[in-house]
Amino acid sequence: MRRKRAVPNTIAVLVSLVVIFPVYWMFATALKQPGKILSATPEFVPWPLSLDNFRTALTHGPFLHYVRNSLLVSVSTVLIALVVALGASIALARFRFIGRRAFLVGLVLVQMVPGSAMVIPLYLMLRSVGAIDFVPGLIITYMTFVLPFTIWTLRGFVAGIPLELEEAAMVDGCGRFGAFWHIQLPLLAPGIVATSIFAFISAWDDYLFAYVFLKSQNNYTLPVWLVSFQTSDGIDNGATIAASAIFSLPVLIVFLLIQRRLVGGMTAGAVKG
Amino acid sequence: MTSLTQAPETTPVTPPRTHQAVRGNRLARFTPYGLIGPALIAFAAVLGYPIVRLIWLSLQDFGPRSLFTGEAPFVGLDNFSRVLGDSDFWFTLLRTLIVSVACVSGLMVIGFLLASLLMQVSAWARVMLSVCLVLVWAMPMVSATMIWRWLFEPQYGVLNWVITQLKVFGDFSAHDWFSSPSQALFLIIALIVWKGLPFVALTLYAAMGQIPGDLYEAAALDGAGRWNVARNVTMPILAPVLAVLVLLEVIWSVNSFTPIWVLTQGGPDGGTTTLGVYSYLEAFTRNDYSGGAAIAIITVLLLAVLSVLYVRRLFAQDEAIA
Repeated sequence: MRRKRAVPNTIAVLVSLVVIFPVYWMFATALKQPGKILSATPEFVPWPLSLDNFRTALTHGPFLHYVRNSLLVSVSTVLIALVVALGASIALARFRFIGRRAFLVGLVLVQMVPGSAMVIPLYLMLRSVGAIDFVPGLIITYMTFVLPFTIWTLRGFVAGIPLELEEAAMVDGCGRFGAFWHIQLPLLAPGIVATSIFAFISAWDDYLFAYVFLKSQNNYTLPVWLVSFQTSDGIDNGATIAASAIFSLPVLIVFLLIQRRLVGGMTAGAVKG
Repeated sequence: MTSLTQAPETTPVTPPRTHQAVRGNRLARFTPYGLIGPALIAFAAVLGYPIVRLIWLSLQDFGPRSLFTGEAPFVGLDNFSRVLGDSDFWFTLLRTLIVSVACVSGLMVIGFLLASLLMQVSAWARVMLSVCLVLVWAMPMVSATMIWRWLFEPQYGVLNWVITQLKVFGDFSAHDWFSSPSQALFLIIALIVWKGLPFVALTLYAAMGQIPGDLYEAAALDGAGRWNVARNVTMPILAPVLAVLVLLEVIWSVNSFTPIWVLTQGGPDGGTTTLGVYSYLEAFTRNDYSGGAAIAIITVLLLAVLSVLYVRRLFAQDEAIA
């Protein structure tokens, strides 16, 4: 058995190295001494380590201001999407009503609408009400684009909670809201975490809408700023890569933490196929 | 926006027992509408109305002046005949087809091979490879594009150095990938494939894990070779998953904007412009919003066929809807 696996294992090691190399190279470049970045023979191990590139990125212009902008937009997207999606998912999982099926069909269709087609009319709409450069406009747009997946996922979680639990709580004197707060919400926690991560990353990563909607540099989110990032001496590769690393780090950490569930969860998704 | 489209279903969902069954008062009849109300309003305002606006826009002549006056004359299908009569459009369509076919076939073939590899390796190697894939998946597209730019930087890019050292392709030091449309296009395809690979490979791996082992034992008893097993056992069972992945990847690659825009802005000389970038350029660079809208609508119509197929497949398999 050991023998038989030696070949695939070796291939797996090589493939892993190739696949991860760009990510490694991002951190390796960011951690190099600035003087060593532009060398004709690349050094594959950054040594001695240096935080100078990070320092340049962080101190050049109001970097933290853009972090704050990005956080504000992403967190608002998550919070609003959760409230809106929870309501809709409870309606879909717990009630029979006219239009339910149409709504579900619409939900899937809506996911197929490409952002690059919607950006033109959305821009003109925002413009005609004087809301270009208006951050809430961006948040509402993100919120709507993450809704289909969020509702679809939460619906599954709500449907999985036995109705008897709520009824028991209501018999014991909880109101409907009390039953929701004390019984449903805790059981929904995994679904809420999963959809929050999805919504957060969607907003955090987006470039297109932020690039089109936000006109003043003061309002830029991180990706828009990152693409336009230049120091006074032109493009500083080390600082740009360090800034990219800072921007990617939260997402990389989250994905690493949920890695097991992510791969496991796909098993469930794949059966449906 | 991001890549997860199918919700991992946690429980087998039977048609819900409803609250009406429990309490049939009048208030309860309006509760579901109150609950989906906010979502409906958001969809109507941010998707529904803009779609109508997009169609309307494509029938108008909405230029830079209209931005300020708010008025644009109705011109019927003129924008469509103008776009379809422009050779640029057909070149862009052809380029988009090439990019999508290259991306999707690259993704499916490499993804399938990686998934098969994951099935065969020891546990430690499986964890290692899937962690690498998950990290690539997590990389924000903008960061990935910045890295790409740096990897292929003419003077100091590490890839040029590696290629030169291989001594197969000749001297690549100071080779500028971005000055040639076909090479820039190749970089874009490579980036989209690299970024999209984890989703395809891990989905296929998950699906392969569902195939009962006895099927393989039976095939082995019948003397089937590795290729035969892949063709006659794995492929047919994976067919539905493969179909959905191909559909999604086609849609995503046709619409991809960020990697192309950040890497090349569609250049040099429009040589890397695909439909998504083309409609953006038409609208926001040339201020021909109606032309951009017409291009966007043509793209959506081309993809609509695929989308309908996808929706039908999804619904055929989800009984909770019924």
